[in-house]
Amino acid sequence: MKSHILSSAFATVFLVAVGLLPGSPAHADVTISVWSHEADQPAKVAFRELAARSVERAHPGTHVKITWYELSAMNAALRTALPAGQGPDVFYLEPDQTDYITSGYILPLDNLINWNEIQSWARGPRVEGKTWMMPQEAYTVELYYNKAVLQKLGFTLPSNAQFTQNQFLALVRKCRAAGITPIAEGVGDRPFPGAYLVGESLLHKLGLGDYGRLLHGQISFHDSRVMAVMNWVKQLVDAGAYPKNFMTLKLGESHSYFYQKPGALMFPVGSWFIGRAFAPASQGGMPAGFPLGIMQYPAIDKAACNECKTIGIGASFAINAATKHRDLAAAFLNTMSTPEMGQRWINTVYEQSAVRTGDVPFTGPYASYFAELQERQKGEKYFLGLPVVDTEDQCRDAWAQVMNAAFPGGLVTADRAATLMDEACYRRSH
Amino acid sequence: MSFEIRKYAFGRMPRYVGSPDGGGVHLLAAVGGPRFRARRLPLMIFVLLYTILAGGPLVWVAMMSIRTTPEILDNPYALPSIIHWEKFASAWIDSNYGTYFWNSIMAVAGAVCLLTMIGAMAAHCLARYRFRGAGLVRFAILSGMVLPPQLLILSLFQILIGYGLYNSLTGLILVYVSSQLGMTLYILEGFFAQIPQDLFDAARMDGYGDMDIFLRITIPVGLPAIITTMMLNLVILWNEFLFAVVLLTDDDKRTLPLGTMHFIGGHQLDIGMVATGLMIAIVPVLLLYAFFSETMIRGMTAGALR
Amino acid sequence: MDPDENRAQPSIRDSYLGRSRSEAHQTAPGVIASLIGPAAFIYVAFTLYPVLRTVWNSLHTVRAGGLTDWVGIGNYSEVLTHDPFFWNAVGNTVIFTVVSTVLDVAGGLLLALCLFAKIPFARLLRVVWFTPVLISYVVVGIIWAWVFDYDWGPLNMVLRGFGLDALTRSWLGDPRWALWAVMAAHVWKWLGFNMIIFLAALYALPGEVLGAAELDYCGWFAKTIYVIVPMLRPTIANLLALSFIGKMMVFDLIWIMTRGGPLWSTETVSTYVYKRAFDWNSFSLGYPSAIAVVWCVIILAFVVAMNLLLRRSKPLEF
Repeated sequence: MKSHILSSAFATVFLVAVGLLPGSPAHADVTISVWSHEADQPAKVAFRELAARSVERAHPGTHVKITWYELSAMNAALRTALPAGQGPDVFYLEPDQTDYITSGYILPLDNLINWNEIQSWARGPRVEGKTWMMPQEAYTVELYYNKAVLQKLGFTLPSNAQFTQNQFLALVRKCRAAGITPIAEGVGDRPFPGAYLVGESLLHKLGLGDYGRLLHGQISFHDSRVMAVMNWVKQLVDAGAYPKNFMTLKLGESHSYFYQKPGALMFPVGSWFIGRAFAPASQGGMPAGFPLGIMQYPAIDKAACNECKTIGIGASFAINAATKHRDLAAAFLNTMSTPEMGQRWINTVYEQSAVRTGDVPFTGPYASYFAELQERQKGEKYFLGLPVVDTEDQCRDAWAQVMNAAFPGGLVTADRAATLMDEACYRRSH
Repeated sequence: MSFEIRKYAFGRMPRYVGSPDGGGVHLLAAVGGPRFRARRLPLMIFVLLYTILAGGPLVWVAMMSIRTTPEILDNPYALPSIIHWEKFASAWIDSNYGTYFWNSIMAVAGAVCLLTMIGAMAAHCLARYRFRGAGLVRFAILSGMVLPPQLLILSLFQILIGYGLYNSLTGLILVYVSSQLGMTLYILEGFFAQIPQDLFDAARMDGYGDMDIFLRITIPVGLPAIITTMMLNLVILWNEFLFAVVLLTDDDKRTLPLGTMHFIGGHQLDIGMVATGLMIAIVPVLLLYAFFSETMIRGMTAGALR
Repeated sequence: MDPDENRAQPSIRDSYLGRSRSEAHQTAPGVIASLIGPAAFIYVAFTLYPVLRTVWNSLHTVRAGGLTDWVGIGNYSEVLTHDPFFWNAVGNTVIFTVVSTVLDVAGGLLLALCLFAKIPFARLLRVVWFTPVLISYVVVGIIWAWVFDYDWGPLNMVLRGFGLDALTRSWLGDPRWALWAVMAAHVWKWLGFNMIIFLAALYALPGEVLGAAELDYCGWFAKTIYVIVPMLRPTIANLLALSFIGKMMVFDLIWIMTRGGPLWSTETVSTYVYKRAFDWNSFSLGYPSAIAVVWCVIILAFVVAMNLLLRRSKPLEF
């Protein structure tokens, strides 16, 4: 009986030991994992996979595995995995997600990335004097419009492409009278589109410094300058500037609302819109021959800075602090930041890149668009960061619910909106 | 045995309304037969309206599943002009729905089986036996039910790492079991507690052991509740998203609800493909239900206690 | 046999059937362990730690660098006294739960009665009416967001078709209507489930009682209320309880349709907890954990109250 037990025990131990023996390593086979969220944009998928394959070629024995998520699902997965010491080696982040920095989940990238390849302004906010994310995408907040409709309404764009407050209001009224929706916009599934117009107008009125202070709760929304802008925007809203289904229209649907279903005059959106617009029409892109124009956001009376514009850094990547393959992860990031890749980004994804691409002239079917975009950037001063991105906690929720949705949606008066915003933003820090 | 149980319990043959088909007969005679009666017109109108309300969206989704997204955005309600069967192939292969489908089956079938077995045993125990701490057990179960899974998942994750079950279907199955166990126990215990104690006393006097009693009395007589919980768990877990997306990071381990992530993106919603994905997810379960609904209802009336 | 004798309250049963208790004692420990063992194991392994951890978290807050600070009841006092958003969410959740539970159960009963009344195609309709239950929340949300769309949604189109243009509105975009719109979608999804349970219960009713009811001549409505409903009371009670608990935890549908907007009119406790745990710029789980614990206590209080109210007088069955 005892020998029986003994032999089975021995057998068990033996089997376990054998099972635990590592397979003979021929050479170090390393897999680095990457999480990203751009699964529904084939051009970006191709771009990242290309970078992955380059890294694999340059470092034999390395596998780069990219897992694709949808954005909020990816955030949920990251926020669950990282505190448990898990998670991918490299992952997508956006610059506002500074909590990853303060909680120590990502590595500082100052010494790991070749920063010469990145535009200087895109190096993003420094926390503790270090840079933590590598930017890929940049965008400016623009106001696109339909040239043909503008002409039909009998308006001409001034030489600096900027209407005054009164001109803009008149334009909106005339447009609505002609039965066309002046501004295509929808906040059904995003917390920022509705705030573009009022945000840029506030930026113009207050200038770079004070606009930042407003976002961080240091200036009250009842300030006379802020109220002047809000009252003007309320006039626009009351004149029917936005679509009737503004509150529930989805971002994707607002694109086609602008083009032809039912077609609108203007479309305030980040310049990443082009990534979708230049896709084939059968995949939701702009119809061929659409007269796309770009105008500046209206000039506000007695403004501090009518040539100010919001710029944003979009997609960025970070390296997990718990990674075991730091250099390979950095290699992946660097591969995506070469000038060639930057050029490829612009030419296939049609978005501005944070990578330096040199002064290569634009070619291809969309050259005229990029030329016009370039025009609109001349002489502009930039404010980095969108309100809904730059604010925190309750204030951010209030921007999403009030300035983005309820106020342009006509649900609250300017005064009530200012009070709600103050409760969430101004009071908190006072 | 089950027949004898019932006979013993009631002292006579139970005379309920009978088979699901026979059931309506009495009412039918009362209401005047299948021939058209003016009195039934409001009923029929209501039935028709509700059928449109309940079935309409599914028909709409089915239509959308064979049209492309631009076609849909162009005219949401039109009938398909060209039938795009290739979308299903594209979803199955390119968007990996094939893999997700089998993973879903394994995860959900495994979880539902475990839940039924474990839940029935524990419910039987709580209903039949008095022991110290039974109240505490009930309270613990209830508390697990009411805390939001959105929070629990963070600690749950750390546990799975500790057990080496992260990113595995086994881990997901166990998490599903733990998340639904509370509700399952709640339903089953409430029902099992109603079974007349005399049945058990009789069986014990006949010399049956505890396990026998459980298998031969509780389960057949408790079948309605068991089927109810199986159905509820199946429906809830088949569409479960949050746990699956956080706990499975390998694409080949993902389940069906995660497939929609391929089509819901930052800038656009590919409604056509989402519809196709839904048809892949819903048709098998629908067929399952259609074939088994008769059996299910029989099962649910089989152990009737009245 | 008097059904009341079979009431399941353990204490009554024990005193009435003392002999089974002593018998149970003889075989108890091993059997109990093996029966309840697996469930207990799963609970301890997977649920106990998260529950305890949540309570622990609720008493701390997380600073930068991942360091935790003990705050005791600091989080709780803030939740209970300084957080209007929490109480707004509680109010929304209570309204949502109570109204949609009643609608769901009453509607399910109504549908089951329709099927029971031997309408044509009953078996087909049984399947068709059940399909909403099988659809995932993502698609339910998308479908109903389209139904409620101002321009091309069927609801407004029907209203316009009947000349009721004045009644059209952006249902999900109006703070006064959004919660009811989401409720409609949620009830729509679950009616079929309650219907099936009720249908089975109806088939299990004693035939002679129904036959004697002479539904035709005495008015079907009155007979339903006075004859059928009392007989179904246990089923109703059980479904009410189930539905209640499920709807108190509603999250997925609201997240997909409105994310708690517009103007926080559809913010429920679970969406609020999720926002604070996942969407806000901090990894601190202290505050959302405190919210969860407070909410848990509130629900448990309700469940216990409901138990006392509903289970006291009638035995529970399906």
